[in-house]
Amino acid sequence: MDTLTRPGPVDSPVRAGPRRRGRHGRRLGYGMLTPSLVVLAVLIILPLAYSLVLSLFSWKLTDLNLPKPFVGFDNYTRILHDATVGRALVNTVIYVVGAISVELVLGFVVAAALFEMTRGRKLANALILLPMIIAPVVTALLWRYLLDPQFGLVTQLSDAVGLPSGIGWFGSSGLALPSLIAVDVWQWTPFVVLVMHAGMLSINEEQFEAARVDGAGHLRILRSIVLPAIVPQILLILLFRTMDTYRIFDTVFVLTKGGPGLSTETIGLYTYRTGFSYFDMGYAMALSVFILLTVLVISAFYIRLLRRREAL
Amino acid sequence: MKRWTVASYTIVVVFLLVVLVPIAAVVVNSLKVPADIFTPSLKLAFTPTFDNYAKVLGDLHFQTFLMNSTLVALGSTALSLAVGVPAAYALARLPIRGRELWAGGILFTRMVPAVALVVPMYVIFQRTELLGTYFALIAAHTTFNLPIVIWMMRSFFEELPPDLEEAALVDGSGRFGAFWRVALPLTAPGLAATAVLCLLFSWNEFLFALVLSGRDTQTVPIGVASFIGTVSVDWGGSSAAAVLALVPVFLLGLVAQRFLVRGLTFGAVKG
Repeated sequence: MDTLTRPGPVDSPVRAGPRRRGRHGRRLGYGMLTPSLVVLAVLIILPLAYSLVLSLFSWKLTDLNLPKPFVGFDNYTRILHDATVGRALVNTVIYVVGAISVELVLGFVVAAALFEMTRGRKLANALILLPMIIAPVVTALLWRYLLDPQFGLVTQLSDAVGLPSGIGWFGSSGLALPSLIAVDVWQWTPFVVLVMHAGMLSINEEQFEAARVDGAGHLRILRSIVLPAIVPQILLILLFRTMDTYRIFDTVFVLTKGGPGLSTETIGLYTYRTGFSYFDMGYAMALSVFILLTVLVISAFYIRLLRRREAL
Repeated sequence: MKRWTVASYTIVVVFLLVVLVPIAAVVVNSLKVPADIFTPSLKLAFTPTFDNYAKVLGDLHFQTFLMNSTLVALGSTALSLAVGVPAAYALARLPIRGRELWAGGILFTRMVPAVALVVPMYVIFQRTELLGTYFALIAAHTTFNLPIVIWMMRSFFEELPPDLEEAALVDGSGRFGAFWRVALPLTAPGLAATAVLCLLFSWNEFLFALVLSGRDTQTVPIGVASFIGTVSVDWGGSSAAAVLALVPVFLLGLVAQRFLVRGLTFGAVKG
């Protein structure tokens, strides 16, 4: 930035024009960028730094005015020994891997089918995106009603066709997590479909013709041309879906509150409860930092993959 | 070939049914009286009623939630656009050192989960006595809206042919004038789409609203959630609340549908 204040060397009039404009452009550039950086620093970096500092203290919110003893990394070693954290991480990994793998496979099938369509594609696109613009809280309410063991639509339908009904989907420790995954699949498979479909639309038509001339069948074309062509889109989906499922909160909070038992406890929910149900702020801050660090490691890994593929 | 076409249409139609039926079910539910909802078998023939809406709007002051959501969404969107659009232009066009590094850093802020921010924010806002104010929610929602604005608008500015701004510079316009009078009007549709997406994300947000709002500043998702989790669930009322939360989102989604995926993928997929 010091080039801004230093008086420039005397140039010939011919060179002065573009150079001054370049320098002016740079100053304007920083001027236009700075407000955003300030806002992001105040709203994101400051709270993060604050949680980093407070995570080193033992601090119960119930005694706001009592001294907060410095405990060093005790809160962090506590994470390592906390069985609930272990359980929450296992649940979160099951949720992330389960939801994303179903969404990828289902999404690919639907995207390929959509790609095949010649009519009504626009309308189908418009309707498919509906679930992802609905608030997760509303989605949760919707599914709570649909899966209600007594009066839910799914119960009524399975009753009508003679399937076992009256299943307490969210109340059973074995079924609660799969049910949450199903809700995620309903809400986010459309996203996978639309991103993959966008990738398929950018494939060069000549490639299909060449493959057909070579006598490639339908499945062969899907596997050897379409699938490799959308690898960047798949990586992008992986990045965004991993980030979003890893920090899942809304639907779990509304549908199961982590239960029954700890069967649907996730790391995000546990952090929330540590802070706002147990008022154990020091530990909640340490958990926040822990979540942040894992998210940064995962996203850095994906972004490197993506960069190599030049999708971003 | 014909076989594949038939299979494809079948797959898409079945998928659309799975997508749409739950939404339709909640809309139908909101028009039923309790006796029609709580039947063990499916009841399609019923007399529609608006009692649920009357109750949700009358007794529960749901319109306060609607107004709070509108204020917070507009506030966060306005703030994000005001500081984000110039930054997006700078990162797309102006000679800034370490441009990609700045852009990458901003991308990382989008990866910061709300769960990691909400605990320290709660403490900070409590200390500054801002807890429960609109400002607290607007600030919190700006943490996810601002990076979206920067990355999306950057992708729109980069798509613009540079010749147009260069022509403006030759005509004696300054660098800022080229941005303000040439680039910005040309990206107006993108700007509108970005604004709509911010409104959408803010409208749907739950965790910050749950922790940082006060009695008078609770938003629609909190209002909807307040129906759930209690022992006796008011299905009719909660469905009506859900529909009231849905309608603005559908209208916004209609406007932004072409750009929705681009917004969700941070501009990486062109809409």
